[in-house]
Amino acid sequence: MTGPTASLSHLSRADGSASFKCPTTGYNVLGSVNAPIELPARRDALKPEEATVEVFVKPGNTTAGVGERYVEGILRTMLQKVILGRERGFPRRGVVITLAILGGDAVERGDSYLTLLPALLQTSLLTLLSAGVPMSMTFSTALLAVTKSGDIISDPSPVDAKTASSLHVLAFSPKGHLLLNESQGRFDFDTWESVRERAYSSCRGAVITGSDGDIAMGEEGEDSRAEDFIRETVEDHLHRDYAWKIDSA
Amino acid sequence: MSAPLILLPGDEVPSDHLPSNNSNPLKLGPGLRLLSQPSSKSTPATHVLTATQAGLVTTDAKRNTVSLLSFSNCRYIPTVNDLVIAQIHHSSVDYFHCMVTPHTAHALLGQLSFEGASKKTRPMLKQGELVYARVLSIGVGAGAEVELTCVNPATGKSDPGGLGPLIGGMVFDVSTGMAARLLRASSSSEQSDIIDGLAVLSELGKKLESLGGFELAVGRNGKVWVDCSNAGDSAIKATIAIGRCLQTTDEKSLNPADQKKLVTRILREMNLAS
Amino acid sequence: MSKEAPLSVAEREFILEALRQDSRLDGRGADQFRPLKISFGEEYGHVKLELGKTSIVVRISSEVTKPRDDRPFDGLFNINLEMTAMGSPAWENGRSNELEAYVTHVLDSVIRRSNALDTESLCILKGVSCWSIRADVHIIDYDGNLTDAACIAIMTGLQHFRRPDAVVRDGQVVVYGVEERVPVALNITHKPLSITFNTFNEGHNIILDATRKEEQASEGELVVGINNGGEVCFMSKFSGAPIDAMEVVTRTRVALEKVKELNAQIEKVMQADLAKRAKKGMAEESRAENDR
Repeated sequence: MTGPTASLSHLSRADGSASFKCPTTGYNVLGSVNAPIELPARRDALKPEEATVEVFVKPGNTTAGVGERYVEGILRTMLQKVILGRERGFPRRGVVITLAILGGDAVERGDSYLTLLPALLQTSLLTLLSAGVPMSMTFSTALLAVTKSGDIISDPSPVDAKTASSLHVLAFSPKGHLLLNESQGRFDFDTWESVRERAYSSCRGAVITGSDGDIAMGEEGEDSRAEDFIRETVEDHLHRDYAWKIDSA
Repeated sequence: MSAPLILLPGDEVPSDHLPSNNSNPLKLGPGLRLLSQPSSKSTPATHVLTATQAGLVTTDAKRNTVSLLSFSNCRYIPTVNDLVIAQIHHSSVDYFHCMVTPHTAHALLGQLSFEGASKKTRPMLKQGELVYARVLSIGVGAGAEVELTCVNPATGKSDPGGLGPLIGGMVFDVSTGMAARLLRASSSSEQSDIIDGLAVLSELGKKLESLGGFELAVGRNGKVWVDCSNAGDSAIKATIAIGRCLQTTDEKSLNPADQKKLVTRILREMNLAS
Repeated sequence: MSKEAPLSVAEREFILEALRQDSRLDGRGADQFRPLKISFGEEYGHVKLELGKTSIVVRISSEVTKPRDDRPFDGLFNINLEMTAMGSPAWENGRSNELEAYVTHVLDSVIRRSNALDTESLCILKGVSCWSIRADVHIIDYDGNLTDAACIAIMTGLQHFRRPDAVVRDGQVVVYGVEERVPVALNITHKPLSITFNTFNEGHNIILDATRKEEQASEGELVVGINNGGEVCFMSKFSGAPIDAMEVVTRTRVALEKVKELNAQIEKVMQADLAKRAKKGMAEESRAENDR
């Protein structure tokens, strides 16, 4: 299985941009952010001391509908929490995030939009990093499906997601706090608890507390962790931007 | 120097990366903030430095500063004492309203904030004209206005020299990271061809000397103003060549050797090679 | 807000003076396009196009629907273009602007109304079902000459796209999956492209493929929609300074040359991509056989 791929800052007009591709779901999302910019029509009135975060999701080959507005709402609440909207230059300005779904099938009528959410979250995080928007922390996300027989699959394919009895999207902070929990379908508390554990290990590497209290990496830690993926993408790009400085040192 | 340290938002700056000069208070540059961890029963309250952007940690032992260099394509955010190239949008009784970056609130430039300006001698700037100015203040609180000046209020002189209206010439857009490097390279007192990995300016200076050289003003807001009016008939071509050299160096992150090759190639293409 | 930041006096004067001396900011000649890069995504009809710094993604999709009552023999074809803040910070999400209406109009006239795509071939069963072809245009980076770039991208997409095969059996429409039957190409009747000219200095300088800054300094615009056969299917001169009638005739000739050049380039990259796909398909087939 190949992991996701991403690249940063290839658009010239936007202040920051990133593209993210997830091979299992087939989604390819391009994100851009303009920040801080002046918002038209005094949309800042509600929160005069902070930046206003706007998210716009544009589907690849259909017209945007309720589903897009629904994920936009989740993204906006989530990102508003991590963006430091009071930093210099940001209060009363807008952080405008645009996400275009360039690859992958459109979500069919009646299907869950949750399959799309992790790719959108990852892309918006990379995009914000690329634009240098101040944030209190990064996060990592996981998409899990529980099959009818009760198995948990991480990163389910579109077919798996369609037949699953429940779908879960979770996001964790680098310190391991749960930042986002969106679930859909029928499940019980115990299932959710094991879903959470599985999501935690795919985001942050399996943490197994040994008998002597040491924290050791589990076997799954050898897989690419969602958290490391973001860091590596950013490091690659910074190394390129500052090659002149790093090489001379 | 140790391996470059790259941080993501929320990461703590390890204390061994901080400059150890204790005689001055530590100064924080952009992209970092100081958080205090509340005291618990076992440990007293401590302070940690955390990053708010993704970037490369740089320290200056002499001035005892630590800062974070983020991606070079970020939007410019006005900071006191930065030099910027602003474009007049309109004027009111007391102020010129200027555009520093597109699609943000206008910055104010006093009608009398020019060297030797009085009610009668102040420059009459029209819409679309450019000024080279210094950020005087960024105001306090949310949505405060940025104020620019072309004069040092203490001395009444343009400080550093060259502030004021930019007449003729051409402005080129570069990334904010490139603008910062160009500023250091053009203002540095070092007698070196390569400053901050930039050889393009000194190379252009050498190659275009026979044409009468050129004037350059760099704004931190990602603008470079170039004027070659000394070059007579080749003024336009020389200006275009300089713009292309700077923009290509920026977009392709060229190293000094490639920058020199680029200058030679473009000057030959434009029939300017002497 | 929905307007680009205005050019400074210095920029405008410089661009005009440079053109008087036959120079452009990027060192191009007046009749020269910026480097054009076309690539394809995984699906058929997914085109990525870069024209200098202008960058566009087009996705073509198809679905079976009911034909319009007044045209029972015709399929449907629509071009959807929505400008987002991704292309330029001057564009507002979810709100259309003048440029969007203008570009949509030109694309519609050059491609759709010139019948570049034979909509009658999209009919499956008279009055009951037909194919609806949809072209979604995503402008991801805007640095001038949207119309020409979008035109090239859509035409490439239409030629590259393959729709599933469908047949009528006993009055029932059967759509075959991509695995069951080789998908079919669309019926393209001719290959028109738009070529935009910008005029400067009272019509003394006319250039092709203007960048955003050049567009802002321009006094007028002439758009010619023309195909390889030299048939003009669209011509417009919406606003701006007047242009000499003779100039229109000579420019049409220039446009024809350019369209031939561009169509040849489209053909080349498309054949290369289709050959690559065919090779990959064969390899997969033989592997599937081995598995059995």
